[in-house]
Amino acid sequence: MILTLLIGLPLLGALAVILFPATKAKLVALWGAGIPLIWNIWLFSQFDLGNSHFQWGESATWLPVLGLNYELGIDGLGLLMVALNTFLTWIAIYSARPDVDRPRLFYFLMLLTSSVISGAFLAQNFLLFFLFYEACLIPLYLLINIWGGERRSYAATKFLIYTAISGALILIGGFGLLWLGGAENFSYAALAKTSLPVQKQVLLLLPLAIGFGIKVPMVPLHTWLPDTYVAASTPVAIMLGGVLAKLGTYGLLRFGFSLLPDGWAVIAPWIAIWAAMTIIYCAFLAIVQRDIKRMVAYSSVSHMGYVLLGSAAGNDLSLSGCIAQMVAHGLVLAILFNLVGLIEAKVGSRELDQLNGLMNPVRGLPFVSATLLLGAMSSAGIPGLVSFAAEFAVFQGSYRVFHWQALMGVVGTGLTAVYFVILLNRTCFGRLDNQRAYFPKVSFNEKAPALILVTVIIALGVQPNWLFRWSEPREVKAIEIVPRNQQTVTLEDIGGLLLGSTEAPKIVD
Amino acid sequence: MTAPLPPSTHPHADVIHRLEAGGSMLPDTPENLMQIIGIYKAYAVPMDFYWRDLLYIGERVFLEPLPFFKYFLSKPYLDRHNTYAGDQSTLRVWRGRGEAHPELMEFIDKGVSGRRLPRLLHHLGHDRINMEFAEACMRSMFWHEDINPKFNAYLYTEAYKTAADKAIKAYFKGNIAMLGLYKLFPEMFLEQVRQRSYYANLGLFWEVMAPVFFEMSDIYDEGGFKGVPDAMEFLVNGIFAVAGRPIYHHVYIGDECFEIIPKSAGFTWLYEAALPYVEAIFYRTTPFRGTKSYDAQMQQVPRDQADFHYGILYADVFPVGSAGIPPTLLMHDMMRFLPPYLEEYYHQHCRGEDDQLIQLGITFQRSMYNVTSAVIQALRAALYYPLDDSNPEHLMANRRFFEAQMDRLTRSEARLRDIQTADYR
Repeated sequence: MILTLLIGLPLLGALAVILFPATKAKLVALWGAGIPLIWNIWLFSQFDLGNSHFQWGESATWLPVLGLNYELGIDGLGLLMVALNTFLTWIAIYSARPDVDRPRLFYFLMLLTSSVISGAFLAQNFLLFFLFYEACLIPLYLLINIWGGERRSYAATKFLIYTAISGALILIGGFGLLWLGGAENFSYAALAKTSLPVQKQVLLLLPLAIGFGIKVPMVPLHTWLPDTYVAASTPVAIMLGGVLAKLGTYGLLRFGFSLLPDGWAVIAPWIAIWAAMTIIYCAFLAIVQRDIKRMVAYSSVSHMGYVLLGSAAGNDLSLSGCIAQMVAHGLVLAILFNLVGLIEAKVGSRELDQLNGLMNPVRGLPFVSATLLLGAMSSAGIPGLVSFAAEFAVFQGSYRVFHWQALMGVVGTGLTAVYFVILLNRTCFGRLDNQRAYFPKVSFNEKAPALILVTVIIALGVQPNWLFRWSEPREVKAIEIVPRNQQTVTLEDIGGLLLGSTEAPKIVD
Repeated sequence: MTAPLPPSTHPHADVIHRLEAGGSMLPDTPENLMQIIGIYKAYAVPMDFYWRDLLYIGERVFLEPLPFFKYFLSKPYLDRHNTYAGDQSTLRVWRGRGEAHPELMEFIDKGVSGRRLPRLLHHLGHDRINMEFAEACMRSMFWHEDINPKFNAYLYTEAYKTAADKAIKAYFKGNIAMLGLYKLFPEMFLEQVRQRSYYANLGLFWEVMAPVFFEMSDIYDEGGFKGVPDAMEFLVNGIFAVAGRPIYHHVYIGDECFEIIPKSAGFTWLYEAALPYVEAIFYRTTPFRGTKSYDAQMQQVPRDQADFHYGILYADVFPVGSAGIPPTLLMHDMMRFLPPYLEEYYHQHCRGEDDQLIQLGITFQRSMYNVTSAVIQALRAALYYPLDDSNPEHLMANRRFFEAQMDRLTRSEARLRDIQTADYR
């Protein structure tokens, strides 16, 4: 029941929202998101750091014919991801405008999304994971389509199509794992016992990598993301960027890295190149944006590249960094979307050409500007803030294996500084426009989410061990699976593997 | 009255027609009247300090090499009777008291905190009247020397130099070091004395304006003004009432008075103080420090002083309110003495108490457009024709004058268009 509560409590909260009057919807939703968060915090205190296996396992037979059972468990990675989900759900609900239309339905869907995302992170059965993974599309589609901004229908449909394709590819990968490996059901434990030849592993990794790559997303599968993030309202954008994107990297780590380690070792160099391309390409795209929300969206894609880079390198340090970066990315993106949403609500524009002088202490948005500056600094990897340790670990870990790709990642942080300097310089500094500067002031309730996020960003930046320690047991196990020695894999090797005409490269100990 | 003339085609034709009808550049609305009178009152209290301290510095502090205590106004200067107000005034024009205003006295005593602390602590905590604003105005008048040709020329005459030399030698009597420096750099000392003459000039100007504003506030409280033109008319009458006041600079060293600029030099309040003041402070000043970067190489700062346009009539009060620069200091000073009705008005708009400083800055800008209107009408009355003149040529001459004045406010930076609406806050 310990883990079921993490899924069930938000679901109960969602039902409670429906039962209470609309005027109380936000309050009830905050409780509905707050109780699982408190529960999650308590779990941190109970988590056995010395145990590298899944903890608090729960199991119930559901549809044994299909190999589908209700199996839950949690390790360091899962714990952090669920914590990120519960925390950002609470922040997202707090960030919602008080006058949101149809509040009961809105908060119901937000809590439902949170519940199924937690389910995906906790699942110990591939089909169960898949059900949760697909289930979150429905509330998110509605959240984008009903409460979104301009072109919301287009964005919601695009999101649905892309993620449905992603789901189909992942399902193919999952069935492949079962059928080719001969596992008796879809439980992770059963799938882990299978021993597939590297050739088949690579074949299975292709649909999984593309499927999860859409979710992350990676270039060139990313085109749904800017449209969706921009069209989504602030709370939904926080959920999308802060939590949902992590399902992609979580899936890659859980199914690609952990279950198909030999195949992962083969395709890792290509994934690293893919990550570097994503980092640089999306950073350049962010630089040329005029809409600050779109700029943050491209920044998000670019920074997810670091996660992929760390997972490709697959050593202890890079994996620690990779997992920490998933959390850091979620926190930073949440604060950036929250602040961009505030700017849009107060100023009425997200266009760089129209924003100026918001740092003005009397008539501007000084708190928003100051926290935006801090969020941007964190994103650019300034020491003392959460992203620094995560990005540093990713670079240091991945440089041991992929020199050039890691260096491209470092260049990416430089480019991050470039587009955020553009954003801050145009938005916060300069002269406040006399004709437009009649913005309503930002109330404490509007400031509170950013204040909380700033506190967490600084706390984890000053003491990164609070972030890194949880994922260490899982990595130790993961490192035992992945071959330590790097092998050279050429495009011909990959082609050969796919066509089955050459022998798989041998892993040299 | 404007019937004999065709409508003006000037970009500010609506304002020109209003001036021709005896109105102000500021639209005649009860809200505008309430705002400008309220701010005049809030301005008058610090101004009562400004003029006293400016005269104190010009007359007593004089060339003190380390004038740390120049803002610590001595009691005789606080008790000094205004020349045109108070029971002891022989030239009394306005009804207010002669000594420093009671609100000012209370503020000097207790500050905003309401606690009686040593004066130095009030000073260091900026719980005081910000004389820096007054000095910035003085420097602006001093620097834009072309706007006061007669007065300025006198500062370079032999008579002035001789009087200054006497005063310098008397002030540093027995101080070999300073006298030695004077011997080596006489021009430097003379330039300092010229600056002190501008202290006196501005002090004498504001000595007149402070009781005018106090009385306007009193009249409004009694229900006396019916509209903005009434308030402007009061200012015009006030200007003419004291137009001939002598502008002089006396220095007191011990018991002896040194007449650096004697009253007999013939300088008058209207031409050597009021008009240069309006030109320097309302129209020109210098780029406000801290508001933006002015790149001289990009021609953002004019080469010619006549092209400066950083005065209060052009000021962008939003960023100004964010930096510790002269207009902001005045705004801080005024905020302490706002009448309750104006405070309540600000609470109802924009961000209420949070951006009161900006709101009152814009009210101040509105009020200065009204003062400028009074000056324009006074000049029109002095140099041109009555508004109800029956001769169309005379009316056309008046219009040309008004249009020439409005030409200075067609720059994009000028706020004349903004103050036409109530939304500009």
